[in-house]
Amino acid sequence: MITKTAWKNVWRNRIRSLVVVASVTVGIFAGVFAVGVMNGAVDQRLDEVLDNEVAHIQITHPDFRTNNDLTFKIDDVNEIVEHISGLENVDAVCDRLFVVGMANTARKSTGVHIIGINPEKEKEIFGLYKELEPGTGDYFSDPEREELAYIGFDLAKNLNIIRYQINDEIIEELRSAELPDDILSEISEFNGERFENEMSFKKAMRTVMTVKQESEYGRLILDKAQTFRERAKFTLTFVNRSNHQTGGVFRVGGIYNIPNSMFESSQVFVRDTILRRLIEFPENTAHQIIIRLYDVDDTREMTRKLREDFPELEVLNWKQIQPDMAMMSDFAGIMYGFFMALILAALAFGIVNTMLMVVLERTKELGMLTAIGMNKKKVFRMIMTESVFLSLTGGVAGMIVSWIIIRITSTRGINFGSMEEGFEAMGFSSQIYPDIGIDFFMIVTLLIILTGILSSVYPALKALKLDPADALRTE
Amino acid sequence: MKVLELNNVHKVYNTTHVEVHAVNDVSLEFEEGEFAAIVGPSGSGKTTLLNMIGGLDMPTDGQIMVNSTDLSTLRSSAIIDFRMRNIGFVFQSYNLIPVLTAKENIEFIMNLQKWPRKKRDDRTLELLKAVGLEDRIHSRPSQLSGGQQQRVAVARALASKPRFVLADEPTANLDTKSTENLLDIMEKLNREENITFIFSTHDARVVKKARRVITLEDGKVVSDEKKE
Repeated sequence: MITKTAWKNVWRNRIRSLVVVASVTVGIFAGVFAVGVMNGAVDQRLDEVLDNEVAHIQITHPDFRTNNDLTFKIDDVNEIVEHISGLENVDAVCDRLFVVGMANTARKSTGVHIIGINPEKEKEIFGLYKELEPGTGDYFSDPEREELAYIGFDLAKNLNIIRYQINDEIIEELRSAELPDDILSEISEFNGERFENEMSFKKAMRTVMTVKQESEYGRLILDKAQTFRERAKFTLTFVNRSNHQTGGVFRVGGIYNIPNSMFESSQVFVRDTILRRLIEFPENTAHQIIIRLYDVDDTREMTRKLREDFPELEVLNWKQIQPDMAMMSDFAGIMYGFFMALILAALAFGIVNTMLMVVLERTKELGMLTAIGMNKKKVFRMIMTESVFLSLTGGVAGMIVSWIIIRITSTRGINFGSMEEGFEAMGFSSQIYPDIGIDFFMIVTLLIILTGILSSVYPALKALKLDPADALRTE
Repeated sequence: MKVLELNNVHKVYNTTHVEVHAVNDVSLEFEEGEFAAIVGPSGSGKTTLLNMIGGLDMPTDGQIMVNSTDLSTLRSSAIIDFRMRNIGFVFQSYNLIPVLTAKENIEFIMNLQKWPRKKRDDRTLELLKAVGLEDRIHSRPSQLSGGQQQRVAVARALASKPRFVLADEPTANLDTKSTENLLDIMEKLNREENITFIFSTHDARVVKKARRVITLEDGKVVSDEKKE
């Protein structure tokens, strides 16, 4: 009866309750959706780290990671890899060579990490081969061609391997992509021209486009106008095992595009056979052993086991290699909870205010209820239930709206294209797919109920202090 | 059987610099099934006396015994429980819960006492019939006239079969027809259920119906007449 009365009381002053419900709905939606976006971004970044960059566990010589000196190698790699492959929970293992060097073209040179890989084995661990930019190559598909290299999109830009041009075909493609006619006619001025790099292309475009047009269509034009110099040549230089300067001429066998500009601009993949020869490294040695597990949750246990099995080597898991990511992943839940608690704390003031008004307006009625025998516990419960209903109604509405929007955007994604460079500099994709677990909704529900309860305490105590005889005299 | 006894009851209010004797040395006894009116001019102490009998207010001095229980010895939670089980209230301005229907208002107190549903429904219907509102069972107070609301309030007061009903100026807001109708209903229920009714009033129509009239002046009982 108290519950039913409390629910009816919520709707006694419909407008006022709707205002509170609406504010809670908006607050919860804003909070849950923001958390969904943050969580989606963190999850995507984590997938990126595990699938393309680090995998679950890496083994190196204990001194290798400190200075990346190629002499700090792992011996008897084949035996170690075989041993690890036989362990339960291990999905795949591969070994890599790792050299610090320079990538050079006729116009540019830049520092890079040259990673010698067995492409087929790499595919079992990393998904980087799937990130191949169409039309740039085929990821080491021809075993006869040892000189091929798989490089990042940003490195290709830095080395001027990517160029930009406007021609009839590109103009037609832009027309199909519904680029407005006035812009099309403006950029047609550059038909037949080629630009060596992104900066010079953008500079040219700015002469015919407004800032607004550029922010709206610049990305599209840039994507369509880029062309790749197929099998473009570049050199990689580095020192070999004997500390002599060496290197080789390589051709671009593919360009990968991932949302991490730092990785893209620095990691060059070549076949381990050619790199081994160039650095004069013996067979059955490597710089890194990379391990992928079936379940990421087994990482800690497997790290411990591998440290026992190979005490002379350094065994690090992804959390130790990327501590910033580990912190983000481990504390995300706490951070989201804290974020929601802050939003609810702000909403609580509105609920307290409303409930104080309720007690003030119903002084006489509360006096009557006490007079006819409703004890303090029940009066408190009625006001508390009313407050919980008020907050929960808005909360549930907010969560339903958030769930619907997150469902829609989790498949379509949200494009933060205008902030792409900033996002990618931090390793995050500018296309974010919001995502949130059902457990978070449960936590939010509990937080809303808690907010309702806490918001009712002061108004309910005020109600309990009412003297029934005085309250009944109130007009 | 004696259900209520007031022994030398005083109520003094301390306002700024002045002591006001709202009730001054009142001693009264009420038998089961009485239909009594407390009359007197405004400020004579009627409502204060009724509040003290109902445990809403405590006497400054003296003793109020209900069924041999001294109210002043009860803790505040026990007094609330005592009121719920022994006293029905009817207020001048009806004081129904506006969001509940007539039925829900009447069964509210039975719910507080955790009566079983069937028993609750039967009692509610019985009372609604007794006050002539069985066809308004699902009406909210705002859909009822003043007289009808007060009849629902009387039904609510009697719902849990209290020892006595305290009614503070129950007819003050009613027209003549509604007043007569209400008084007839209360008198009928008083006789049928043998529940003691005590009114505070200055309505001559109530006084006429009452079988005992207690007159207060300046907080003192100046007359106590029982009609045959």
